[in-house]
This record gives sequence, structure tokens and C-alpha cells, in this order.
Amino acid sequence: MQHCSPEQLALAALREPLSATDAAHLADCAACHAEVSALRRGVDALAFPALAAPTTSLTPPPRVWDAIAAATGVSATPASHPTPVSHPTSVSHPTPEPAPLATVTRLQPRRNRWMAVAAAAALVGGVAGVVALTRDGSGQVVAATTLDPLDADDSSGTAEVRERDGVRSLQVDLEAPSLGEGYYEVWLLRPDVTGLVPLGVVHQGANVVPLPAGLDLGDYPVVDVSVEPLDGDPSHSGVSVARGSLS
Amino acid sequence: MTALEDRTDLYGHHVETGRTSLRRVTEPDDDDLARRFRDGDEQALAVAYERWSGQLYGMAVRAFGPGPDAEDVTQQTFIAAWTGRAGYSAGSGPLPAWLVGICRHKIADVWAKRDRQRRQSEAVAADVASRPGSHDDVDTRVADRVLLLGELDQLGQPQRGIIELAFFEDLTHVQIAARTGIPLGTVKSHIRRTLERLRTRLEVDGAALQP
Repeated sequence: MQHCSPEQLALAALREPLSATDAAHLADCAACHAEVSALRRGVDALAFPALAAPTTSLTPPPRVWDAIAAATGVSATPASHPTPVSHPTSVSHPTPEPAPLATVTRLQPRRNRWMAVAAAAALVGGVAGVVALTRDGSGQVVAATTLDPLDADDSSGTAEVRERDGVRSLQVDLEAPSLGEGYYEVWLLRPDVTGLVPLGVVHQGANVVPLPAGLDLGDYPVVDVSVEPLDGDPSHSGVSVARGSLS
Repeated sequence: MTALEDRTDLYGHHVETGRTSLRRVTEPDDDDLARRFRDGDEQALAVAYERWSGQLYGMAVRAFGPGPDAEDVTQQTFIAAWTGRAGYSAGSGPLPAWLVGICRHKIADVWAKRDRQRRQSEAVAADVASRPGSHDDVDTRVADRVLLLGELDQLGQPQRGIIELAFFEDLTHVQIAARTGIPLGTVKSHIRRTLERLRTRLEVDGAALQP
């Protein structure tokens, strides 16, 4: 019995038609059939209509660009973009000077992004824009960041400040290894790490922690995730694994 | 969208639309735009958005319908491209194709996030009333997509371009050979090796995604 060639089996996994001989063999040969099934798992995962090349062009609402500009600090605007509207807020953003670090792990360069955002906002008219990114049943996202791993840690995630009925909460989606002992805790830091607000224990996956009323996110824009030992000491362990700056 | 007037499509193929635009005279072509984007020219981000946000948003809407998820995917794609622009090189293909690749990751990430949330809510429900079935299992295909999109990023050319034409443009190996000018036998052997590589990745790391 002549088996199908490896190349023919790959084409079969892609659902390309085979020659009559190959097709007849494949129908009867358990080994070749198993090979096609094994190759097809990858095909089925990726050759999926929603991932296909774009077919339709739709104009996104202007707030999509506003959010990109806010997150990147870019002040250029696309030619067709409507005149940007500033959203005055009560938040005032002092321009943080790089300062000597306190007891917590040094800041990653994301702080620069925050400063870029503040600078861009200042250019627009002296006020910082808080851009509504998304809106759904769990409230309006008023600020967000990705949480980037620090140094060699492979923890990462996202953090979003949501506001619903005037109450703010922080949603933290954390991708992090399981801890043998200890736990993860999320904090808000000043950019120069001269102050920090503990928000609570978080675990891998989705978490929602309430934010203290009146807390100025302009003062405490840095979301920090630390590993804390179970030692009864409520202060920051100094072991930060992921961080991002809200914008 | 004006972006595609007599320019190249997302895969670098010339598109003759018959329309002309005065702006073409002053606007950079796609290669020049890609260089400026990589070099951090802020105007290049705005022009890239002008040119390709419609296609990317169209993809996101196809996946999620109009709404917050589609908008979020679109903005996250541009933000990730801008912050990761140092990772773009000529070997990454045309800039718009690179953006589409990032967009695929963002779409797959939203699926994975939804799957996590589903499992968590079901886990809570299971505490109240234990139910039969594998309700708290990772949706294998959702997890596979995230994993394999990452594996595609590791492929060199022309393997990556070939498999993307097969997966995402639904071309047969004959059509791929015609489109790329790569000999038929070479196309077939690249397809075979890439599918093997994806299978190996699933066998090695796919299981690790199980809770």
C-alpha cells in the first residue's frame, strides 16, 4: 500500500482537494487519516474567518484615535480627524521630575510615556484629557494601561480604571506564574515612588478592586503588582513583578 | 477609504482603483511611510491611521460587531505597533500587513480574555451547584490561536507569507505559487514544514494551557 506523501497530507489538512488515488487511500488508511487530523488542529485554529485578511473598511469613531493619541502622547492627527475636544477635569498633573527611588524597585521607562501624555495634553490647552476608552455594563473605562513585566519576571497584564455611578474601581487582569507561597498585591504609586496606596490582594486572571474615593490618579498613576510574603508586614515587599502607568 | 487609492493593498500588491487623489502627490508612499513610522515620526502614525484604521476596524467589527471590543482592538493595535515599532523591519513585510498581524493577536487576546471570564463565572456557579461536563476547561481552540499566532511570528520568509496566504486568504498552493512566483514544489514543502511546526508547538505547549 502506497501512503500519501507528507506534502499531500498537509494539503489535505488545508482541505485542498486531492487526486482520486490519494483521496481513496486517505479514506481507508488510519495512519494517514490520523496524520491529517493532527496537522489540522493548527489549521482550524488559524484559518478562521474572523482572522482572515480584512475585507471591509469601516471608519472607526473619532474616540479611537483620541485614545491612541492619549496613550502614545502623539500630537499629530489624521487628516480626516475632527478637531479634538479637550475634556477638562479636576485632575491636575504635576510634571514629575525623575527622583531618587525609594524602597521599591526602580521604575521602568513607562513613566516617560505618562510624561509624554501630560506634555501633549498641556500643548492642547493646559488641561489633561481623560479619554473614555470603552463603555460597557461594568462601567466606563476612564484610564488604562498594560502591565509590563519588570526585569526577568514573566508577569504581565492589563489594568483599567472603571467608573460606574461615580464609583471607581480598578480591574486588573494578571498573567502571572503560580506562587509557591506568598501572594500578589496591587498598588498605586507616585511616579517618583515617594508614595504608594495599597489596593489589595490580586490573583491570576481577572480582579476588581475598589479605588479610594478622592484618590487623585494624576498623583498616583502607576499601577504596580508586587509579590508579598505571608509575614504579617503590610508594607510593600519591594519585589515588584509588573507595572504600568495609567493614561 | 481614501487610503487605498491606487496604492498597495494590505499585502503589498498594487491596487489599480482608477481613482486618483491630489494628496498622493504630497503623501509618502507605503515604504517611505513604513520607514518614518519605524523611526518614530509621529506624523507617520497619524498617516498610517488615516490609511489603514478602516481595514483594521473592519476586521475587528467582523470579529466582535461594532462596539467597545472592536474599538479597543483597533486602538490597541495602533498603540502596540507604535510602542513596538522598533520590532518592525523590512523582513516583517509591508507595514499594513504587519498591522494586520498585530490586530489578529489583539482579536485572539479578547477571545482568550472572554474565555477566562467565562470560566471564572462558571467556576463561581459550580460552587453553588456542581454541574456535569467540562465547563471550566480552557476553550482549546481559543488557547491554540493565541499560541499559534505567536508561532507564526517566529517564522521567517517566505514560509510566513506562504502560510498566511493559505490561512488568511484561503488560497490553494497553486494560487500561492502563482501569486508569489515561488515554485510549486517549494510552496508545498514549506506548507508541510510549517504545519508540522505548528503541530509540534501544540504538542509541546498546548497542554500547558490546561488549568
